[in-house]
Formats: sequence, structure tokens, C-alpha cells
Amino acid sequence: MIEKLMNIDRRIVFILVALAVIIPSLLNVSFPITVSQPTRSTYEYIEAMPPGSTLMIGFNYGPSSFAELHPMAKAVIHHCFSKKIRVIGMTLLAEGATLGDKMLKGVAEETGAVYGEDYVYLGFRPGATQVLLGMGTAIDSVYEADYAKTPLAEIPMMADITNYEQIDLVLDLASGSSTEWWVIYTNTRYNQQIAAGVTGVIVSQMYPYLQTKQLIGLMPGLLGAAEYEKLIGKPAKGTEGMSIQSFAHLLVVALVILGNIAFFIQRRQSE
Amino acid sequence: MRRQVPLILCFAFGIVMALTEFSPHPFSQGLNKEVIDWALVIGPFALVLAIATLVQTHWVRIRRRSEYWQYSFLVFIGMIIMVLIGIPFGQQHPAFEWLFEYVQVPMDATMFSLLAFFIASAAYRAFRARTLEATLLLAAALIVMIGNAPVGDLIWNTVMPLGDNFPSAARQWILDNPNLSARRGIILGISLGVISQSIRIILGIERSYLGGVEGD
Repeated sequence: MIEKLMNIDRRIVFILVALAVIIPSLLNVSFPITVSQPTRSTYEYIEAMPPGSTLMIGFNYGPSSFAELHPMAKAVIHHCFSKKIRVIGMTLLAEGATLGDKMLKGVAEETGAVYGEDYVYLGFRPGATQVLLGMGTAIDSVYEADYAKTPLAEIPMMADITNYEQIDLVLDLASGSSTEWWVIYTNTRYNQQIAAGVTGVIVSQMYPYLQTKQLIGLMPGLLGAAEYEKLIGKPAKGTEGMSIQSFAHLLVVALVILGNIAFFIQRRQSE
Repeated sequence: MRRQVPLILCFAFGIVMALTEFSPHPFSQGLNKEVIDWALVIGPFALVLAIATLVQTHWVRIRRRSEYWQYSFLVFIGMIIMVLIGIPFGQQHPAFEWLFEYVQVPMDATMFSLLAFFIASAAYRAFRARTLEATLLLAAALIVMIGNAPVGDLIWNTVMPLGDNFPSAARQWILDNPNLSARRGIILGISLGVISQSIRIILGIERSYLGGVEGD
């Protein structure tokens, strides 16, 4: 029996994971969300920004991290547009270019934000480090035109935005090392305020920067998106995903505990 | 000559760029900006190199009929289609956006989603409390996992009479304290390594980036 339990067919585990994902998404279960301090700090910083301030969002993720970071982007952009905070979108990853464009257009349609007045999308430029350093001197030295090839000089919103001095906060939505690049090249060198929203697997790497205030806030994975949605009072994909995440995490915890019980019984028997 | 010129350039740019970081003088800052502009121009060439390497690798696979060589054709087909649409019509063309949204996004997301299945299976088989270190790791992982899901707080608040939202508070404590300390140590170690390696490269002690044997 114990031997069987220890060598359970992995296809059974796969089926259990599939059920843990499918069932809650069909049942539409919801759980109360506790907001963590790093997410609250991000929200409070943006909430305190006066109308007309500027937030730069880095869509530094590809389709593989889409499910975790897209809800986060949507919640923050909604918050910004509702407070009349201007948004500049950009990306350091080629795969992020289309994702950022569609996200900004989508939220703008829902909220009535106007391109060129409330938001601008710059798109992708290769050479991450040089892009971050170059924008410190002049954004138009890196992006001479926006994503739709309109020269920045012809965009009304960019008339009074030259470099980081006119950007009140950078929010980096990252699935890789980009947050560390922002910290090293823009916070340290230009004293730029930075917040981050990152995938669950790299959250733990960000805590040293949070403690030193090099990051003013941090949103952890899909949970961070759900927390932000709760703070702005607009439950969406992040909140929906929490029921699935809850069941999937419970299953993995149960499997680990079961595996260890079987392991200890087997060890005792062999002794 | 093929070795001396890169070594001299590396030494000169390394020393000058390091010095410009410490000098607010307009000449120094102007020089710094100039070099960043050069780097912005040079940066895209890395993409050209990457594409050349990709083509070369897959061409060799097809020529040698290596294992699964047929898939290399798919690489070329995908690349040619995206280039043929993306370069003349731009990334906002409906065809480019359709291919991205309905081909690349689902495929990429599917590959990443498969991880959940393998992680669950691997956790069941390999995550055992064999030693004290493994037990600590296991306990921390379970707390963070439960704290990362709202159901953890719900179960705790319903079942346990003490401490509201204990799982999420415990997760936050683990991230704020042991995790932060360990991560800071790692960052310091990496940073010291990077500084020493940079000095070796600038001074020409480390030459493997030139493509030959070290010290050659």
C-alpha cells in the first residue's frame, strides 16, 4: 500500500492538478483577499500622485507570464486613468510590445482615455541598459517616435516630458531581471522612484530592494493583481484567479504532506 | 594586432566610463551620454547576430539530419512569416497582431502552464523531510504556498482561534526576514564577483571574451 502510494503514477497527479484548476473556474468560488503591505505601498503612492502626474509602465513580460502580469497592468492603468494620471508605456522585451499596446488601448476604450493626452505607448527598443540610461538624458534620444511611428515632438502629452525628471513613478511589470536593471540604472543614477509587479517565482528576489526603499512597492504575482483589484474596488481576472490558485496550492500542499507521511512510514518499516 | 586593439579599447573605455560615473563635470557627463548613444546604435547589431546564430544552428541541424531536424523547418517558417508581415507592414498590422495573439500567446502560455503539472508531480516525489535543512525548506515552502492563496487565511480564521490571517502574516515574515537576509548575502557575493571580474577584464587579465584560451 505504502509502496504504491510512494510510486503513484504521475498521470494521476496531472489529472488532480487539472481538476484543481477546472473545478474552481467552473464553480466561480471567491475568497476574501488580505492585502499585503508591499502592494498597499504601491497603491498608496499612486493614490497620492496629483492629477497630471506621470507614470511610466514597463511591460517587461511575454505571453508566458501574461496570466500573472496582465491583470496587474490592467488594475494599475485603470487606477491611473481614474485619477487623471498620465501613463507612458514601453517595453525592454520584443514580446512585450504587442501586449503593452493592446493593454493600454483596451483600458483606454473602457475609461475613455485619449491617446496623446492621457497616455502614450513607446513600444520596444533593443539594448535594455542603454535604453534605461538614454532615457535619463532624453526620452526622444531613445524613442524618436512612438509605437505608431508618430514623432514624439508631435504628441501633446510629451511636450513637457523630456526625461526621468518629469516622471513621478516607474512601474516595472517583470517576468525577468528588468526590475533589477531599473533599480541599478535609474534609481541609483537618476533617483527615479520605482515600483514593481513581478511573477510569483521572482518575488523573493525583490525584497532587498524593497527594504532599502529602492522599490517603493511590490506586487507579488497574481495575488498582487488580486490585492490591487481589491484596493481599487474593481475585482477582475486577478480576483477570479485566486480561487484557482487556492485550490492548486492546497493540492500541492496536500500532495507534499501525503508524500512525506508515506516516506516516514516506509522509513520506519525498513528500520 | 587582433588581440591588442580589443584589449586597448576595453581598457580605455572601461577606465573612462568608470571615471565618468564619479564626475559631474559637463565634459565628463557629455562623454558619458555620447558613449550611451553609441551603445544604442551598436545594440541592435546584437539582434542581427542572434538571428544569424539561430539560422546557422537550424541550418546545420537540417543539413546533418540531426534528431527532430524537421522542427527546424518550423523555426524558419515562423521567422519568415513574421518578418514578411512585420517589416513591411509594421507590428500593428492586423495579420501580425492576429499571429501574435492567436499563435504565439497561446503556445507560449501553454508551455509555461505545463510547469504547474510537473511541479506538482515533482513536489510529491522529491520534496521530502530527509534532513533538518530539507525540513526547514519544506516548512518554509508550505507556509509561503498557503500564505500566497487566500484560502489559507480563510481556513486558519475559521479553524484556529488565535491570530487573524496568520498564514499570510507568516509568509510575509519569511519573505521580509530569512529570505531578505539570504538574498542580500547572494547579491553582495554576486556584486563582489562582478567587480573583480570587471577589473580583470579591464586590465586584460581575463581574455576569454576574445575567443581564445585564457592568457593566450
